[in-house]
Amino acid sequence: MNEQLIALDRVTVRKTRTVLLDSVSLAVARGELVGIIGPNGAGKTTLLNVIAGFERFEGVLSLFGRPETHRRSRESRLRVGYIPQSFPVDPSFPILAVEAVMTGAIGRTGLFRSPGRRQKEEAMALMETMRLSHLAARPLGQLSGGERQKVSLARAILQRPDILLMDEPTANLDIAVQKEVLDLVDEIHRKEALTVLFVTHDFTMLPVAMGRAVLLDHGRMLFDGDIDTALSGETLTRLFRYPLETFRQKGRRFISYD
Amino acid sequence: MIDPLIDILTYPPIQRAAIACVLCGASCSLLSVFVVLMKMPLIGVSMSHAAFAGAVLGTLAGINPFLSGFVVCLLAAGVLGPLSDRTDLAPENMLGILFSFLMGIAFLGMGILTRTKAGVLNLMWGSLLTLSRFDVTILAVVTGVLVLFVAVFFKEIRAVLFNRRLARASGVPERMIYYALLFLTGAVVSSNLATVGGLLIFALLVQPGATALQLTYDMKHFFLISAASGVGACASGLVISYIFDLPSGASVVLTATVIFAAAYVFSPKRRRARLKERNRII
Ligand SMILES: Nc1ncnc2c1ncn2[C@@H]1O[C@H](COP(=O)(O)OP(=O)(O)OP(=O)(O)O)[C@@H](O)[C@H]1O
Ligand SMILES: [Mg+2]
Repeated sequence: MNEQLIALDRVTVRKTRTVLLDSVSLAVARGELVGIIGPNGAGKTTLLNVIAGFERFEGVLSLFGRPETHRRSRESRLRVGYIPQSFPVDPSFPILAVEAVMTGAIGRTGLFRSPGRRQKEEAMALMETMRLSHLAARPLGQLSGGERQKVSLARAILQRPDILLMDEPTANLDIAVQKEVLDLVDEIHRKEALTVLFVTHDFTMLPVAMGRAVLLDHGRMLFDGDIDTALSGETLTRLFRYPLETFRQKGRRFISYD
Repeated sequence: MIDPLIDILTYPPIQRAAIACVLCGASCSLLSVFVVLMKMPLIGVSMSHAAFAGAVLGTLAGINPFLSGFVVCLLAAGVLGPLSDRTDLAPENMLGILFSFLMGIAFLGMGILTRTKAGVLNLMWGSLLTLSRFDVTILAVVTGVLVLFVAVFFKEIRAVLFNRRLARASGVPERMIYYALLFLTGAVVSSNLATVGGLLIFALLVQPGATALQLTYDMKHFFLISAASGVGACASGLVISYIFDLPSGASVVLTATVIFAAAYVFSPKRRRARLKERNRII
């Protein structure tokens, strides 16, 4: 069970003079739920984009034990699900939520095959288990941020990936909806035995199953280890360069600052 | 009024014009779905300018203007495609530069071509009544390829129109679809230089899609409504131009505008949005 699904060895991303990721090394085993935490501009999205195959990089990236670049075969893309930080959709864009979910399965279906009724049923069933059926027939562009985020999650799940990359799935959501999304993530992680990378800059609301965190700042990895050490006042003070203290109550983590 | 219209359909140039008119409407309006939903009207403009410049150069060199227009379109697509993948460059600026450059070339060519200006002016406004058999055949082939492309890759196209990056993440050959679209844009635009011309075609690349955007949330219906409004605009525009003896390209474009305006005014989507707004205020 200790198979390494994701392995980065000194991965660096450069864009005209600036270094977005600076020699990051990271290994993630099957079934882990790892938090990628850091302030704005730390390089969290860049790191996910490297793993998702949207960004050129130097160094070595291995997925499922095989080296990969930003060019991927259909098969290797299918095994990595991706939930972007945000994606704009026009309110009048002609796509319903259930159709947006179905686009997750298109690569799996393959060219020249009609998705047919089965795929729609599959998408509806998934939305049902994620308690999203009431959104299925609504135009996607008219959903709220939280609803859209859940649809985006369903879309990625329908792809049936082994790895799920989530870029701040709870940003801009109110507390109740954050909790719903986090519960969904925990549920999916458990049921589908997914390996999850969960990007966030919030460390009070995290999936329960997150046992490990990677702290990023200015493209460098500051810390990689168990979540309690990662989110101790000492480490966070170093990360945010601001005196911070954390304490726990009823299994939840709180933060205090002056 | 109907009988003379049917009578007139027995003359070969009129027959060709009628067929070309339907093909022009169908090809431009299918393409306009992409132009509108991918928010790439500037790419549409640049492509029609590229086709026009190519056609002028072709006339200068004594080559078939469709072929030279198409070649320049492909070159433009080769520049535009990678450009739109870059995020560190505002593509609008580059497109603006590219299409004014192409327009410059076209006008330069026209300056040199003083003696055959009439032919070149046709490339700007088109002329449904002087089409050759070759023009119509090319247009038929291009329209056929486009219809086939949309029918065969409908689900991939929907995913790409929705979000290119998500489509790629889900294993859809997003680049293949996108470049095929650019290629088809070039083909449609250059084969329609003869029908509505390089200037007016832009209206047909936007209005049918914009019309459909007012009317439906269903992607299949979107293509059908767009095609119907495009073909409708072309056919009724041609009839109007014949009856009132107006330039055909202009009357087609004006008809398309009227159809769009009607869709905008009677849009059930907008009405629903307005209702919602009112409820929210209460
Ligand atoms: N194309 C680019 N060219 C140059 N710099 C870039 C480019 N894209 C991003 N950056 C910079 O790289 C850094 C890392 O960006 P990234 O999007 O990975 O941050 P992030 O950790 O996801 O931040 P956030 O929490 O705001 O989403 C930022 O400082 C950003 O300004
Ligand atoms: Mg980010």
